[in-house]
Amino acid sequence: MQKVLGDFIHALRQAGLPISSAETLDALNAAQLVGIDNAHLLKESLAATLAKRLEHRVIYDQVFELYFNHQGNFRFAEKEDVLSVTKASEAEGGATETEETTSDLLETMESPLAQQLMSDDTSALQMMIAEAAGAAGAQDISFSTQISMMAFKVMQALGDNQLQLELAAMEERDEQRALVQLLRQRRSSLQQAVRDYVEQQHLLFNQNVSQQLRQSNLQRVNLTSIDHRNYKLMGELVRKAAKQLASLHSRRRRVTKRGLLDVRRTIAANAAYDGFLFHTKWKSTRVERSKVMVLCDVSGSVSEVARFLMLFLYSLQDVLPRVRSFVFSSRMAEVTELFEKQEMEIALAEILSKWANMRTDYGKALEDFNEMALSDIDQRTTVIMLGDARNNNEDGNVSIWEEVYRRSQRVIWLNPEGEFSWNRADSIMEKYAPFCSHVETCNSLRDLNRILGSVLKHSN
Amino acid sequence: MIIRNREKIHSPDTIKQHFESLGYICSDAIATSVYLACHLQKPILVEGPPGVGKTELAKKTSELLAAPLIRMQCYEGLDEAKALYEWKYGKQLLYTQLLKDQLGDVMRGAKGLDESVSRLHQFGDIFYSDEFLEPRPLLEALKSEDGAILLIDEIDKADQEFEAFLLELLSDYQISIPELGTVKAKSKPLVFLTSNNTRELGDALKRRCLHLYIPFPTKEIEQKIITAQVPELNENLKLQLVEFVSELREMALKKVPAVSETIDWARALLLLNVESLDQEWVKNTLNLLLKFQDDIEAVEPELHDLLKAALKGDKSA
Repeated sequence: MQKVLGDFIHALRQAGLPISSAETLDALNAAQLVGIDNAHLLKESLAATLAKRLEHRVIYDQVFELYFNHQGNFRFAEKEDVLSVTKASEAEGGATETEETTSDLLETMESPLAQQLMSDDTSALQMMIAEAAGAAGAQDISFSTQISMMAFKVMQALGDNQLQLELAAMEERDEQRALVQLLRQRRSSLQQAVRDYVEQQHLLFNQNVSQQLRQSNLQRVNLTSIDHRNYKLMGELVRKAAKQLASLHSRRRRVTKRGLLDVRRTIAANAAYDGFLFHTKWKSTRVERSKVMVLCDVSGSVSEVARFLMLFLYSLQDVLPRVRSFVFSSRMAEVTELFEKQEMEIALAEILSKWANMRTDYGKALEDFNEMALSDIDQRTTVIMLGDARNNNEDGNVSIWEEVYRRSQRVIWLNPEGEFSWNRADSIMEKYAPFCSHVETCNSLRDLNRILGSVLKHSN
Repeated sequence: MIIRNREKIHSPDTIKQHFESLGYICSDAIATSVYLACHLQKPILVEGPPGVGKTELAKKTSELLAAPLIRMQCYEGLDEAKALYEWKYGKQLLYTQLLKDQLGDVMRGAKGLDESVSRLHQFGDIFYSDEFLEPRPLLEALKSEDGAILLIDEIDKADQEFEAFLLELLSDYQISIPELGTVKAKSKPLVFLTSNNTRELGDALKRRCLHLYIPFPTKEIEQKIITAQVPELNENLKLQLVEFVSELREMALKKVPAVSETIDWARALLLLNVESLDQEWVKNTLNLLLKFQDDIEAVEPELHDLLKAALKGDKSA
């Protein structure tokens, strides 16, 4: 039973449930307590010890079905075929003691697989399949394309080669045709069973490996080259990363909640204790969360990075509740409200269709920013600019950027291009760079995570 | 814990039956969790939407096992002093004042500072002994002789620090008090934690608990619940009512009606002598089911269709 449950838990882990060894022990205890006769009860008991979240419960139910209901349901479904074959051979050869001849013939066969196939002991066969598959490593295949190969290997391990040879030899002789036919039928249903078994193992243990592989690649890949079909997965990854950051930084904020001693209230509260100050009362300080303003260039290739930056920022709502966002290519517009009203995806699509695909003009955009929001920047504001500083050889209006730098707490410039291409062609990065606290290359989820982590660190 | 009614928790099915006789209708999952918690001596973390009977489960379990229920309501800012123990400062002060003279006697004749201090030491930490300890719910549960049911309600409302503080209690049934040392449970309490999922609980906490999710009940179970709670209600109306509420739960509302609201509504309809659901009555009593004006406004124009569906569903059932 331990082996069965151990494999089941392994399968659950592969499906993404974080099960600790302590929980494994709990599950074993629970299973011992309730026994394994009542499947429904067992399912509920294991669920209570293993699936600790609602979304995990759904996965758990699926894996449970797959794991326990597919074990040992392998049958030869062709009892009637056997009869008809026997009858056919009766008619053909006119022999009356077919049964006997078959068993006689069977004894002449040396292949153990053939014996096994004729013995009708399906559960023994099932065991053999499981054993052979375990030895051949069916649990470790990571791509569905490997299934046929693995099924073949398992058949080999079961002694298929010998069976095939013998069958070929027997076919030469006429009187054994019925038996050969029967054996061939059974062999093909065995083949099917092996394939099913391998497939099931793959589903149970390795379905998610390729997914995990994909996820870890997406962490590193350049944001501009992520194609549309990966957006959804990427969005989930961004949210996950944001959640991690948020929980990391929400704790620190709480420590600073307690402020100065409130002398008046403390004395009043302790009058009863003869003036000894036992219960201290504190002035609670208002927690100043840092304000973040984010300016995104949404032209051309930068827009792709902008998408993920905004997604990330808005997933951080818990710890960064006051994010104002602006987008620009030639004119700048504030989109904070749009994000509040709309779903993230819809809002992003709207922004990209409305403001992207225009000639970039940092000068004009900064002028707009000057009018809209410059006066709101104060010593607690972090300004994040995302752009490649490619200004089509126009005037960059650096003086406004200097003013932004002077007023704000920090200015971070994220450039999706690598450092080697800054200041080449129409990029005027070097003009803005002196008025930034940090200039960083940012083009993967990892970069985003690192940089926003540092923003949070400073804001606390 | 010492379980007085051992035969009542012999198997999940008997638990279910006994709960039913106490008027608490539960699903197999609930009964199984309680069974496991009793036998494996592990805490249960109960999650689910508000009003599906999470707190009630703890109360009924305490009734079933004839053990006292100790309840601790969590809220933001809850700390050890309110959850575990507090020194009786007032009493300590009063005693020091009263014992001033006694102290004078003790100290009399002592030569030098060293001797005075060593004499003081002989008295030990009288002021930090059990006499001056004010036990709060958690300590009370540990100190209870025959075991108790400890209900830690809405753990998600407490801070993360408090959650971490609970870990020692949940896994080892002991708690460390700096002045007294480690307090071990005299008899392990059965712990229920409830959560409304306002925030994600830590993995460490979840790992130590059995997990139970109570969803909204199915129509059959909800009918049974109404029968148990409001037995006077006529059969026909009960079917319609359950059907109507389950229709409401399908709608996108701010807060969908929970079981407790269904029961309230059933009681109200009984009080008003309503024979069968009609639009007028429903409209007038909708505020019992829906707690937001927005929701009521959203449902009112749909009332006709909802009622029709409810009446039809009732007939087909």
